[in-house]
Amino acid sequence: MLEARAFEPEFLHKLDGLVLGTRRARTRRAGQRIIGRHQGGGIEPENFREYSPGDDLRFLDWNAFARFDELTIRTFRAERQLEITIMVDASASMAVPVDDDKLGLALTLGAGLAFIGMNENDPVRLVAFAGRHGGTRLETTPFRRRRETYADFRPFVSALKSGGPTRISAAVGDLLHERRAPGIVIVISDFLVSPGDYEEALDRLLGARHEVKVLHVMGDRESTGNYPPGNYRVRDCESGELRDVVFGPAAAAACRARIADHAAGLSAFCSRRGVMYAPAFGASHLDEIMAREFPRLGVIS
Amino acid sequence: VGLLNPLNLLYALSLAALVAIYLRALSRPTLEVSSLMLFEEVPAPAAKSRLLRIDRFFWLEALALGAITLAVAGLYLHVNQPAGTNHRHALVFDLGAAMGATTENRGSSRLDDARRAATQIIANAPPGDRFTVSGYALEAETFRAAGSGPQEARDALATLAPAAVAARPAALRAALMRARAADQIDLFADRPPPAAAIDDAGLVGRLNFHQVGAPAPNLAIVSLDAGVPRSTVGRCVVRNFSNRPQYCDLVIEAGGREVFHSMLIAEPRAEIVVPFGPLPAGGLVKARIATPDALAADNQRWALAPSIAHAHALVLSRDAAVRDDLARIVLAINPNFLVTAADPDSFKRSQHFDLAIIHDSPDQGVNADSRLLIFPEPPLDGSKRSQLVPVTRSVALVELQERADAGTLSTPVMLGPARVLAPPTWMEPIARGVSVGEHQSFPLGAYGFDGNAPVGVIAFDVRDHLLLDPDRMDALVLAIDLLHRLVAPRDVLIEPTGSFVTVAAGAHARLIAPDGTTRALVPDQWGAVRFRPLQSGRYLVTSNAPAVAVYANYYDAGESDLSAPATASATSSSPSPVATPAPSRLSVRPIAIPLVILALLALLGESLMLAQRAICWRASHV
Repeated sequence: MLEARAFEPEFLHKLDGLVLGTRRARTRRAGQRIIGRHQGGGIEPENFREYSPGDDLRFLDWNAFARFDELTIRTFRAERQLEITIMVDASASMAVPVDDDKLGLALTLGAGLAFIGMNENDPVRLVAFAGRHGGTRLETTPFRRRRETYADFRPFVSALKSGGPTRISAAVGDLLHERRAPGIVIVISDFLVSPGDYEEALDRLLGARHEVKVLHVMGDRESTGNYPPGNYRVRDCESGELRDVVFGPAAAAACRARIADHAAGLSAFCSRRGVMYAPAFGASHLDEIMAREFPRLGVIS
Repeated sequence: VGLLNPLNLLYALSLAALVAIYLRALSRPTLEVSSLMLFEEVPAPAAKSRLLRIDRFFWLEALALGAITLAVAGLYLHVNQPAGTNHRHALVFDLGAAMGATTENRGSSRLDDARRAATQIIANAPPGDRFTVSGYALEAETFRAAGSGPQEARDALATLAPAAVAARPAALRAALMRARAADQIDLFADRPPPAAAIDDAGLVGRLNFHQVGAPAPNLAIVSLDAGVPRSTVGRCVVRNFSNRPQYCDLVIEAGGREVFHSMLIAEPRAEIVVPFGPLPAGGLVKARIATPDALAADNQRWALAPSIAHAHALVLSRDAAVRDDLARIVLAINPNFLVTAADPDSFKRSQHFDLAIIHDSPDQGVNADSRLLIFPEPPLDGSKRSQLVPVTRSVALVELQERADAGTLSTPVMLGPARVLAPPTWMEPIARGVSVGEHQSFPLGAYGFDGNAPVGVIAFDVRDHLLLDPDRMDALVLAIDLLHRLVAPRDVLIEPTGSFVTVAAGAHARLIAPDGTTRALVPDQWGAVRFRPLQSGRYLVTSNAPAVAVYANYYDAGESDLSAPATASATSSSPSPVATPAPSRLSVRPIAIPLVILALLALLGESLMLAQRAICWRASHV
């Protein structure tokens, strides 16, 4: 399967030196919104201020007290790393058509982005989501920070099975219940849901002040409508709904048009919300996608 | 419309298989997709007519299979064409001796009557009709091939002539088979054809039988035995085929002089045995019936009387009983022979003989004009001496199955040991047999000329008085026949009509037939010419060698019987010798080739459609 490539040295070698860019500063002043006497946890001195009772005496600048006979407190720049959450759609639609191996493509891209994120020692985790029994299936890995721990994602990637309906907004809701600090959330999915579902999901992520990136994954045959001509009864792999369809040149053209409309709608929504959008159509074009579409997601060298 | 082989319609089951395949294809395979939202605008366009919505591939394949099935089953069309439009006539004539029989009043022969009837058919035929003229007697012969016009057919009719042989059913069958492609076959004969011959011919067109001739009285010389000059009387057997008593003016001549002339009265359908002689000298004897009758071919017959001159014969054998038997047979043929019987071990080979009969002994050193080898010795191991008649091996028991003058024997004659011979090509086998337990026959008797010397060979052993055994008379007849051939004069041969005659001749050989016609004969590498006398009478073979006269005798009990009533067979549609009007005909036209072409076109069309789809949908999906 394609996801095995995500752990091949050649694949990772291509990702060396890449950095996942962010529109938000990685550092911020400590205590700006912190109630209490919390100090910045960094080691880079930032400023001095007058001592006030209650301050931690460990940060008292004894040299300044000796010279000026004033109690001065040293403050430090608080070094804060962005948490990167990579949400991979693991619904049943990601496994259909089987030849397209959309889930493998999504996992490979997600793992690659995780590796890039770990280049900056940012904590990265993979989250697989799908609907299950009316609820949501959310499978999460622990945050990994160092590249040496990248291989720990391998069991998760290898064992992930697709199944269940696609419920992006519900999965996002479950994720936001963790109430973690705002970071980067990359959503990788085929987005074969109603526009309202993914719009709600992305709005909620933005509302939680996450920087959101969208990777739209589609398969080769699925994106071209290249099915064997003839009469078929197609079945929706998620809903089980049946429909009689005649595949042929007209059906293929209509299918391509539907895909284009759907992708255009998603892209337009992302553009309006300032969400980075990148299409990834076709597992056979993995290298092209990484070369052409990753920069759209802010990946820089 | 019909089928030549309806059983092959079973191949139509392939159509059922094709329908089953397509019905299964129509069951619409279920394809799982990621989301129906991609296909909601392309639903099945004609779901209600699904069962009838069989695509063009189905119809093309059904067309190809159906066409091939009908081609294999032999579909044909009966094409009805108006009378006279490219009608093909076959005029088949019996050319047996009886067709030469003349009627008392008009003097014309039965063949003339048939010729007139055929001429009338040709005259009545519409313009554009084509004719084939063929005849049969000993074998079928085509005088004018298909496609001839009326004038060519009339010319061919003029060349028809009866032969002094009996018409054979096999020849009739062959003639009808040659003519079966014709739309109308007119058969002219003096007696109804055997139904089996017509059935075997598998005729497609209509057969009209025209029986010609009326019952007529006929006298025939059945046989003539010259006897032994100055010793025994000769006998002439005359048969009356009429149902009334007939006068028979019988004349027998020998040496150019009448030796017998008498008016006899032959009883109805009876034979007269007329003795004459003994003849004063040997030579050619001719018997003839001077009374005119319907058929002249059987009114004359020739025989040879043995020469009264002394001749020397040698009988060589280690078996005294064999020497005695052979000497008796030689003396019975010609009492004027001086026979020397000797054991080869004590025989002095310097003397010259007219005839040498050598039994199971080497023939080297024997000085004789003609020789008969009986049970010739096989070559000794390592011997390089060439044999006159090579012996390949010996067998312990042999059956005589076939003799030249008698045909296949009804009961094979069990003989004793025999040699398997490889006769040289200048020898003609006159008897054949098989070794017990084997199937391959080999010659048991042969005759030919080694240069100018006649040589005969008998392959089986004649010990234990085999030639005198009354249960194995065929062996004796074969031996006598060979001896007759060997002692016969070189310049005179007497043969039955229809048999192949081999004559030693030189270059520039010509054959003069009894009717005076002359034709050239080409000798083979041994200087022998072969021909087949089809007329009764004297043939003369001339060349730079001495001329040879061949007297052809004709007699056939069935053919010479002209009193048979003129009843038409069930197959005849026109008993009178008047041509029937040409009916409209149905010709069978197989259409296998158009069907195969249709199948190929259907498959070609399907291939083009597939290629078109391959271009549109990638080859891997077609």
